[in-house]
Amino acid sequence: MLTLIARRTLLALAMILAASALTFALIAAAPGNVAALIAERTAGPSASAELVQSIADDLGLNDPLPVRYGRWLSDSVAGDFGGSLRTGKPILEEFAERAPVTGLLLVCGGAIALIMSLTIGMLGAISNGGKIDSLLRALSLAGASTPNFFVAALLVMLFSVTLGWLPAFAGSSAASWIMPCLTIALFPCSVLSRVVRVNLQEIMSRPFATTGFAMGYTRLGVLTREALPNIAVPYLTTFGAQFTLMIIGSIVVETVFAMKGIGAFFIEAIRFRDFISMQATLLSFIMFFVFVNLFVDIICLLIDPRIRRQSNA
Amino acid sequence: MNKLKKEPLFKVKDLVIDLYTEQVSVRAVDSVNLEVNAGEILAVVGESGSGKTVMTLGPLGLLPEGVSVDIRGQSQCSGQDLLNKPARELAKLRGENFGIIFQDPISALNPMKKVGPQLASQAVRLRGVSKQQGKEIAIELLQRTGIPDPEDRYNRYPHEMSGGMLQRVMIALALVGNPKILIADEPITALDATVQAQILELLKDIQCRENIAIILITHDISVVAQMADQVAVLYAGRIAEYGTMEDVLTRPVHPYTKGLLSSVPDLRSKRGENASGPAGITGSPPDQSSLLPGCRFVERCPVAQTFCSKFRPPLEVLPHLSQRHFVACPVAVESTIEQMEGEAYEQ
Amino acid sequence: MLNKHSLSTLATWPWAVLTPVLLFVAIAIFALWISPYDPTTQNYSAVLQGSSWEHWLGTDYLGRDLLSRIITGAQVSLVAMSIVLIAALIIGVTIGSFAGYVGGKTELVLISAIDIILSLPSLVVALAFIGIIGPGYWSMIAALTMAWWANYARMSRAVVTSELHQPYIEAARVMGASHLHIFVRHILPHVLALVVVYASADAGALVLAIATLSFLGLGVEPPTPEWGQMLVDGMNYLEQYPRLVVLPGLALTLVVSSFNLLGEHFALKKVPRGLTQRHLKILKRLRAQEEARISELEASA
Repeated sequence: MLTLIARRTLLALAMILAASALTFALIAAAPGNVAALIAERTAGPSASAELVQSIADDLGLNDPLPVRYGRWLSDSVAGDFGGSLRTGKPILEEFAERAPVTGLLLVCGGAIALIMSLTIGMLGAISNGGKIDSLLRALSLAGASTPNFFVAALLVMLFSVTLGWLPAFAGSSAASWIMPCLTIALFPCSVLSRVVRVNLQEIMSRPFATTGFAMGYTRLGVLTREALPNIAVPYLTTFGAQFTLMIIGSIVVETVFAMKGIGAFFIEAIRFRDFISMQATLLSFIMFFVFVNLFVDIICLLIDPRIRRQSNA
Repeated sequence: MNKLKKEPLFKVKDLVIDLYTEQVSVRAVDSVNLEVNAGEILAVVGESGSGKTVMTLGPLGLLPEGVSVDIRGQSQCSGQDLLNKPARELAKLRGENFGIIFQDPISALNPMKKVGPQLASQAVRLRGVSKQQGKEIAIELLQRTGIPDPEDRYNRYPHEMSGGMLQRVMIALALVGNPKILIADEPITALDATVQAQILELLKDIQCRENIAIILITHDISVVAQMADQVAVLYAGRIAEYGTMEDVLTRPVHPYTKGLLSSVPDLRSKRGENASGPAGITGSPPDQSSLLPGCRFVERCPVAQTFCSKFRPPLEVLPHLSQRHFVACPVAVESTIEQMEGEAYEQ
Repeated sequence: MLNKHSLSTLATWPWAVLTPVLLFVAIAIFALWISPYDPTTQNYSAVLQGSSWEHWLGTDYLGRDLLSRIITGAQVSLVAMSIVLIAALIIGVTIGSFAGYVGGKTELVLISAIDIILSLPSLVVALAFIGIIGPGYWSMIAALTMAWWANYARMSRAVVTSELHQPYIEAARVMGASHLHIFVRHILPHVLALVVVYASADAGALVLAIATLSFLGLGVEPPTPEWGQMLVDGMNYLEQYPRLVVLPGLALTLVVSSFNLLGEHFALKKVPRGLTQRHLKILKRLRAQEEARISELEASA
């Protein structure tokens, strides 16, 4: 068991290395020299070739690619991502300010998606072909098809413009977090409730579900006792995937509600062609994705007795 | 029939079961009458698709989801009507009166749950005992069903045990609620030949000790010969022949039963044949998706007459001493009666 | 699955889920003829009008006809989506099949690269590419293609690997067929059968991705009408003229749902489902009629 977890962790680290090397190489190959960009920002469009050259020397941009990658990685691991080309602030500082915003958004959105999807999927399975089931099915299809910027706009229209209950832009109040969290939760919630519903349905047609009925349980009893534990693995796997997808949700939501998070930072970096910030943000995203997947993998290993016991033996 | 006879433990009367999916509507059970008394083993025999499982498990609400079921007729357990019961009461009745053993124990046990605690929680629920007592009952049941080292097996997951052991667990699970009726749906088909005999032995043993009734669903004539008191031969959802084991196996009347028996080379052989159909009968079972007049066996029947495809053959009683041998084939019944009269005349 | 056999039996096609998609495709193809106005012509004498006989859905802040813009938006989405899907399919199927067919170290390297790309959400990959090559219509197309091909590459490789071990491939090889011949004649059809169906289910996600990138200002650029970008334009008028946001959003949602419905139809076919009450009632009535007919027949005989 432990060796299995250790192996997965090593694989995850290798993944981070490979993915970051790939992005580093691609960004290095990008048209538009970073040194030229910096020179342009500091000295205006008439920057001399010598200035560009000296900046490139300063940054070590003339070294071979692997050397640069090694230097960048070791600096990044030490927490030094460099300074933003746009604001000049150290990127670590930006991260420290912005990570809590994105983190809170992901955690709240994830929690809403978790609770709602289990509830909705269960209700659908209980209703099984009834009116509630059809309604929830249609709603989750709509939820998975509505772009989150449109959801955000509709929420603003309803709660800010028409009802005037909630502020349209993010502030410090808890109320200003409600719409961003709901927006970001809708898509994963819709997908996950389908996963719950479909997997419950599949498991209810397995022989051991019939055994549950034979033991004297009602349908609700069989659903909660026999079926629910058995959807844990597919559910968690999808939840992990959806949780990482929420990064995209956070990019959109932070843009719409003018929140100062990592997602908005990334978009700004792309717009301003701030390669250094982009690289740092991508590294943090990659780490986030890989660690979420690793975490889900390990939980699945721990939950499923078939895998757990086998690896012990 | 004897009118003073007491009420049977389990009976179905004029039972009709239709199964519906988006693609087909199948009449799986077509006007079936059956009874089981306490301490009796009833074997329900037929090819796969003959409706034996649907007939037995359908009234209990135990057909797999994904198929829509329509049941008509009557089905009673100790005088209680099963078909019009609310789901909650039916579930309670299932737990308390019935124990059910399925064909493939590996898929019939929840893979996420340890076998012992499953038994224990069932004991707590059905017998109203404490958790500690529940565990004791579970271990005792594991022991009684012949599982060696039950304390150790208590904490095993299904995938850590062999098929034979799992079927014993399945039987233990069926016995927790002290059921009146045990339904065994092809209990040995998925098991190794060496284990099959042991499981049959165990079932027989349980039936003797506890005096409970067993409904044994099987396609294997040798199992019937070994176990059954009564036999019902099902063909395409209808009863072809029904009577005591001796009557049906040694004096078969219905051409289908005869074919079924002639396809078994040796009654002691343990290997039954499966879905492909018995060798003694040519052709394949009819398509049950559309209703047709007449006898369902007519296309494969060696003694079929023209009227056979016009009337539905009634279930007629044969004039044996037992008065409990029923056959749904007027042609065969007539010739048998003639034969019997001839024998009597000769004597 | 779509194959030659089912092409000949149109009646068995899932028309209920196919119709909305076909409707969208038709609108996109005939956009030029259907739209009453030129979608980019500004008319300062008719700014921000409500619906009227001249402008059924009103006009936007530059006096452009909203209906025409939404209809043309369908075309823009469909065209962009088709280019990306076809390009990603070609790249994915080629690289994936090559990896599966060649095997060995080449396969390992390629499949690792594919796995790395797949471990990141597609839209993040696309955003990273846009960051590198800069925003714009064609860089959006390129970025989305780069983000999407890995899916199909992985699938193609899986099919190729399993097909290669089939005995008939061995037989063809023994008979002296060339690699190209074996691949094109025997393996490629299997790959395409699976990947194309999967890709058609991906169309909804792709339309959504295009709209999201445009919404973020990194995709289709004004004045070309695109729903996501129209929506972000309309956000400034959200309070007074909500239809500038709602209509493009609605169009987008409807199109994505219809694609998702189609995708779901392919994906969920295998799970057994009970019938609806109404359906069951009809079947029961049919059965009762059949029963009555039979008993009449038996009685009269």
